[in-house]
Amino acid sequence: MIQIKDLEKFYKTEEVQTIALNKLSFDVKEGEFVAIMGPSGCGKSTLLNILGLLDDPDGGSFMFNGTEVAGYNERKRSELRKHNIGFVFQSFNLIDELTVFENVELPLIYTGVKPAERKQQVEAVLEKMQIMHRRNHFPQQLSGGQQQRVAVARAVVNNPKLILADEPTGNLDSTNGNEVMDLLIDLNEAGTTIIMVTHSEHDAKYSHRIIRMLDGQKVTENILA
Amino acid sequence: MLKNYFKIAFRNLIKNKVYSFINILGLAVGMAATIMIGLWVTDELNFNNHFESKEAIAQVFQSQTINNTIGTDPAIPRPLEFALRQDHKDNFKHIVMSSWEQPRYLKFGETNIYRTGNAMQEGATDMLDLDIISGVKDGLKEKNSIMLSESAAKSLFGNETALGKIVKVNNEDDLIVSSVYKDIPTNNSFSDMEYIIPWKHYVTTQPWLELSKDAWGNNSFQLFVQINENTTMDVVTSKISDVKKNASSETAQFNPQLFLLPMKDWHLRSEFENGVQSGGRIENVWLFGVIGLFILLLACINFVNLSTARSEKRATEVGIRKSIGSQRSQLIFQFLSESFLIVFLSFIVALGLVLLFLNGFNNLASKAIVFPWENLQFWLISLTFVIITAFLAGSYPAIYLSSFNPVAVLKGTFKSGRYSSLPRKILVVAQFTVSIALIIGTLVVMNQIQFSKDRPVGYDKEGLIQIPVMSNEFIGKKDIMRNQFIASGGALEMAGTSAPMTNVWSNRSGYTWDGKPADFQEDLAYTSVSYEFVETLGLKVTAGRGFSREFASDSNAVLLNETAVKYMGLINPIGKFIRDSDTENVDPPLKIVGVVEDMIIQSPYSPVKQAMYVFDSDDNTAFYNVRLNPEKSTSENLALIEGVFKKNFPNTPFDYQFVDEEYGAKFESEERVASLARVFTALAIFISCLGLFGLASFVAEQRTKEIGVRKVLGASISQLWLLLSKDFITLVFIALLIASPLAYYIMGQWLQKFSYRTTVSWDVFAIACFGALIITLITVSFQAIKAATSNPVKSLRTE
Repeated sequence: MIQIKDLEKFYKTEEVQTIALNKLSFDVKEGEFVAIMGPSGCGKSTLLNILGLLDDPDGGSFMFNGTEVAGYNERKRSELRKHNIGFVFQSFNLIDELTVFENVELPLIYTGVKPAERKQQVEAVLEKMQIMHRRNHFPQQLSGGQQQRVAVARAVVNNPKLILADEPTGNLDSTNGNEVMDLLIDLNEAGTTIIMVTHSEHDAKYSHRIIRMLDGQKVTENILA
Repeated sequence: MLKNYFKIAFRNLIKNKVYSFINILGLAVGMAATIMIGLWVTDELNFNNHFESKEAIAQVFQSQTINNTIGTDPAIPRPLEFALRQDHKDNFKHIVMSSWEQPRYLKFGETNIYRTGNAMQEGATDMLDLDIISGVKDGLKEKNSIMLSESAAKSLFGNETALGKIVKVNNEDDLIVSSVYKDIPTNNSFSDMEYIIPWKHYVTTQPWLELSKDAWGNNSFQLFVQINENTTMDVVTSKISDVKKNASSETAQFNPQLFLLPMKDWHLRSEFENGVQSGGRIENVWLFGVIGLFILLLACINFVNLSTARSEKRATEVGIRKSIGSQRSQLIFQFLSESFLIVFLSFIVALGLVLLFLNGFNNLASKAIVFPWENLQFWLISLTFVIITAFLAGSYPAIYLSSFNPVAVLKGTFKSGRYSSLPRKILVVAQFTVSIALIIGTLVVMNQIQFSKDRPVGYDKEGLIQIPVMSNEFIGKKDIMRNQFIASGGALEMAGTSAPMTNVWSNRSGYTWDGKPADFQEDLAYTSVSYEFVETLGLKVTAGRGFSREFASDSNAVLLNETAVKYMGLINPIGKFIRDSDTENVDPPLKIVGVVEDMIIQSPYSPVKQAMYVFDSDDNTAFYNVRLNPEKSTSENLALIEGVFKKNFPNTPFDYQFVDEEYGAKFESEERVASLARVFTALAIFISCLGLFGLASFVAEQRTKEIGVRKVLGASISQLWLLLSKDFITLVFIALLIASPLAYYIMGQWLQKFSYRTTVSWDVFAIACFGALIITLITVSFQAIKAATSNPVKSLRTE
């Protein structure tokens, strides 16, 4: 599903240039659950942003479903993103002014799904995430675990082929964290490809493969299942 | 999608009440001001729109060259009518001679009313499309008829039929009501015309009118025309321009050029400078149009500044939306729809404000504007106005907010750049530049009015009244009335004049005097006056003496003002003679017996015109000027004078004007501009301060932590206040530096139109500078002091 080859990304400030990704290459197959680990500043999040088409690489190749997407403009990237990719963030990133239902509904609005169908889909996913009873609440009225479940619901409501999770349990206690991981496992078992950045060895063990990074490069790769 | 946008916009509005309030109030005030100015401008532009044939109606004007200066005005000689009818009638549908609008007494039974109207020729009713309620369409056909407006008829006859009744006009003529027409709506050149008497009757009422038939030099009338459909104003002008010049060799020396001034220009473009149309009220239309636009821009700037200042709050939302597939264009659309919502809400509030203040505005602007509820065009324009304002206010924030990089935002590393507040600062400077320029402009206008009001008028206008005495019943009564007024104790002195002391009714030429330069074409303001003219008005005689009953020869005497002496090149004028070149052999010459100080009769902004005050030997008195007795109260004096008047003229209503009030009316137009300017300047300042208040509270909020740390480290409240206020003061100071030269230049240009003018002095800038800084300090200090006095523990704990 994903092939990256010699991927490079630099950050420039006024005086220094930092290499965030240094000729990074790996593949991810459809249906895989890959964990990416490494110390802070090793380039994990940069990688995730590029894989999520939120950011552009400065060099190398990025094939998504057999198509080179590295040079895509913003419009094309957002088109590809909204139909194929769901995001789960460490800090949930829900829109405070929208209710649970409206937050989850948002991706469907952008993909042009009709209101009746939207309602059905949103309710189905809220049901699945066991958060239906909170549908009319605003994010501030929910616990961290509940918020992350809403975020996951939002990420999957469009049935994306790929979910990118950036430390999804980072802001959660262990019980809530485990619940979120179980949700991800369920999605993966249902066929969704997942790439997860994490600091937690515990969470990483849920994946099929762990890629460890340092200074923008892959250092090891462990296959768990 | 749109529903989602509006939902989030609405919730944001509710959540940030203070900012929403500032935004909506600022925009509403700005929009209300713009709507009112828009209504005013529309009203001005629609002047005379009532007339169906407005495109074809014109007034004949003439330009004459006197001593190399071209003067233009609508006064024309009577023979022009005959010439046009004889040689050019194919060009016209109507040729209508008219008198000047004049008040007359209309009496029926015991009811006596004083109304303005004209004497006009028969075509008037059709040309002006008068709506006849009863009677014949052409009510001017019969010589002894009168047409009345509906309200004049009602005042005279109540609910009785007016038709066929006999009205006594000015206690002299009995005229039969031939028709009643619907009141002419306001907002046009004829709206004060409450009666029309037939021209053929009018020209027989006075001997001079009979004589005017052949007098090409007597420019005492108006001529309105309606041109035929198959021609244009320019074509007709080119045909008639030389009619007077060719007809009369006597006036040809002034090169009279006739032209048609179309009805659409009467109100807005009726001023001429050296023969060229130079504008008029249209300048005010432009001025206030621009001010309206500026006020709206100021309100939009508030919106832009507050939206972008608070961008960090919206950044996360932008990041999330982008990450789940929103395109930038969709975000731009979202933010624009938000601004549309806010602008729409503001528009509703603005409409409320307009309805609330329309009456006050009408008073201020001397208008009778009605809110155009049923005018579809108004609502369509309003919708366009809302959309344009939404774009004006929302475009930059939409582009700015939608540009955020989702990666940075979602990572939490997003911070506005060091220069991100620069556009905001520029906009604040722009706002205050406009506001300060308006302050300076308003002060200069007020100074100019005051300066002209303080100008010595040359006579004592306080405690002086004028009583109009234009009808024939007053002829020969002048001295009797004077004696009785004085004997009553209500008056100290009285003089008759052929024109009010606040206007020139006659300008004359055709005189000779010893030492008159060859080819000199004089143009003298002419007023005939009685004995005691000097005493009544309190004029200062600088040479010779005033008229005196002790000198029988004063029946052929004249007084000149100082300007006339210089103008005519007279040295030692007393005792010299002025001869009328036409009647040199018939009339005795006029002997100059005195020179008086210049008195302002016309515009207080222009130099005093050369004037001659000729002793009135024919009793052409149009006004009694009465000097009230200073020992008594005004009301006592008036009661005594009225008593004398009523005893002598029991059938004539006692009508009078205070001369100082009549003089004060000369400032009306400029004072109106000044009052409007004051109001709009205050609004501009209010809107700018509202924005500043919003920004100050934003900055205080943003720097809460910094303030806490500084406080912990020992900063005093005044130090913190200075820290938070100085940025804004700097901006206002920059605005001052930009606005001052700009306003200096613009107001310098504006003052050029007055010959008698003040200068743009330094104290105007000092007041504007001081005022702007004080207002700024008050505005930002509230937030600064609030932040500086808050408990630092609280602000640090929130981190």
